[in-house]
Amino acid sequence: MKNIKEIFKRNPNKIKESKLDTALVIINIVLLVLFMIVIALPLLNFFSLAFNNYNFNKNVIIFPKKISWYAFSVIFKGSEMGYFWTAFGNSVLLTLTVTIGSNLVEAMAAYPLSKRDCPIRGGIMMYFIITMLFSAGTAPIYMLMLQLNLTDNIWSCVLISISNVGNLLYFKVFFEGLPKDIEDSARLDGATEIQMFFRIVIPMSLPVIGSCCFFSMVGAWNGYGSALLFISPKATNAFPLAYYLYLLNERLSTTKSDDAILMGRMNIQAAAMLVSIIPIICCYPYVIRYIKGGLMIGSVKE
Amino acid sequence: MENDVMQQETTDALETSALSGLDEIEKAESVLGVDRSLFEEPKFWSLQKKRFIKYRKVLWFIIPAALFTFIFSYIPMLGVLFAFKDSGHFKLFGRIGLWNVMADGYWTLENFGNIFNDKFFKAVGNTLLINIIKLVICFPLSIFIAVQLSELKSQTMAKVVLIVICIPNFLSWAVVIATWSGLLDGDGGALNNLLVTLKLNEPNHPLMQQQGLYKFFVIFLSAWKGSGWGCIMFYAGIIAIDKSFYESATLEGANRIHKMWYLTIPMIIPTIALMLVLNISGMLATGLEVVLPLFNMLTDIEESQLTLDVYLYDITIMQPDIPMAATLGVFNGLVGLTLMIVGNFITTKTLKRGLW
Repeated sequence: MKNIKEIFKRNPNKIKESKLDTALVIINIVLLVLFMIVIALPLLNFFSLAFNNYNFNKNVIIFPKKISWYAFSVIFKGSEMGYFWTAFGNSVLLTLTVTIGSNLVEAMAAYPLSKRDCPIRGGIMMYFIITMLFSAGTAPIYMLMLQLNLTDNIWSCVLISISNVGNLLYFKVFFEGLPKDIEDSARLDGATEIQMFFRIVIPMSLPVIGSCCFFSMVGAWNGYGSALLFISPKATNAFPLAYYLYLLNERLSTTKSDDAILMGRMNIQAAAMLVSIIPIICCYPYVIRYIKGGLMIGSVKE
Repeated sequence: MENDVMQQETTDALETSALSGLDEIEKAESVLGVDRSLFEEPKFWSLQKKRFIKYRKVLWFIIPAALFTFIFSYIPMLGVLFAFKDSGHFKLFGRIGLWNVMADGYWTLENFGNIFNDKFFKAVGNTLLINIIKLVICFPLSIFIAVQLSELKSQTMAKVVLIVICIPNFLSWAVVIATWSGLLDGDGGALNNLLVTLKLNEPNHPLMQQQGLYKFFVIFLSAWKGSGWGCIMFYAGIIAIDKSFYESATLEGANRIHKMWYLTIPMIIPTIALMLVLNISGMLATGLEVVLPLFNMLTDIEESQLTLDVYLYDITIMQPDIPMAATLGVFNGLVGLTLMIVGNFITTKTLKRGLW
């Protein structure tokens, strides 16, 4: 309410706005609020189903009509698709390894490459960039995993996401912009190269590393493109959570029988989805400022 | 004439003096015992060796990343050779490892003729249709939202709007699709109920399982999930514009539409060009994670609704025909690369900006 008042407050020193401009301000606010509603309302409606008794689904608009924990109990009980918590644990393992592993490996590689007089720098950069321009496609990667005996195994999804050339370029550009004087003074104080990397370069580039970590985390937690390739629907112990949810969707939306479970299928789906987004929601507010810092660096390249 | 002679003389004099100066320097160097080789450009490899010694303690930092890139990006490129193997042999054995590429089957070029079949052309048509509509609708939508956001005077409101509209981007496709299939569910979906009361739909007629609406939902859900996040790059570009431009435009009597059209949009053209090239290079990919669940949801699956991603998934995993899949992968990669180069060429010609 205060914002709207501020907007309409007249400032006598200012050039008077025309009627068209005032109308545009109103249209602007209305459009943005409308867009917010289109984004938020479906999510609120769907997630409130998780707490709702399935006989009253029709009455739900934003808040649950009649509280019931039935959906959560079904989710946590487990089914022939395996246990929800197994998938959850797998996803935690996947996310942690990918986030830490990928960013550490790429930051380490970016550090020597950020030096202007690194030996055969152009050649090494070329070696990495070629993989961005041309990839062999899904079939050869799938066959590589077959060869390594990693199909139906959560580690196939981990290993394929470790190499991330985009992050490497990001880190390299950022490290090049760090002030050289600090490194020089650290070298005078007797810091070794490894100490320099872990004690000085990493702490100084926390904003960009933070945002890259967040994106790796979101990608690993939400993505199931690699799981679709490497993990068959029968290997119930190897599901990442997103893949579990995908299979749950498919099973619940295509079965026609009148199971007791299918009565509350929307509620069960909603409950599973709600539990799955908790880690993302927890990180979201903390990371917004990191995203802003990191993005500004990415967008203003000089 | 005289001028020329004068010039000639002065240049000669200058040259001789410079030469004598050089001589004197050389004499001084020989007296002082200066090593001239220090001033010469070192040879390429000796330079690299010197640098290598300087950085010997940090150079091994590159090895893990190089190793992962080699194993998971370069070794699969061997699989490209599968495109030149006959597909009959591999159909029999199905799932085989990468090493067998050399040993099994015989070499042939017939795959490159065989992939251009009916199914393929339908898939390419569907994919291009979806992606072109996405480019025409979603891309300007993000720019529009970014411009609208920057027009807001209150920073707090802009922040709140930004936080809310970015949420769907951080949800899994599984969650997004479950949300909308829940809303449009045949019995009890809230949006479906609304449509039924408005007499736009019948009960027990879930819209997401209808054949004809498949492409619409792919586009709509992409817009719903991505356009909020897509505006972030443009928004960052807009808030970096110098505010004095807007002030002088106001003094000149420009209204909001003028400022939007003649100031904001031209200032973010570099960002637009960059995003446009990236979008165009992904023209043959629709994203398996969104297409496949929607495809599986259809009541009766028809081949006319295939997109390239689903087709590739089908011949890699469901009914393995590895040589065909490898050929299609090569085709996809080459087309993506070409589109990137062409897109870059077009944006450098028209918008004067590009990727490189």
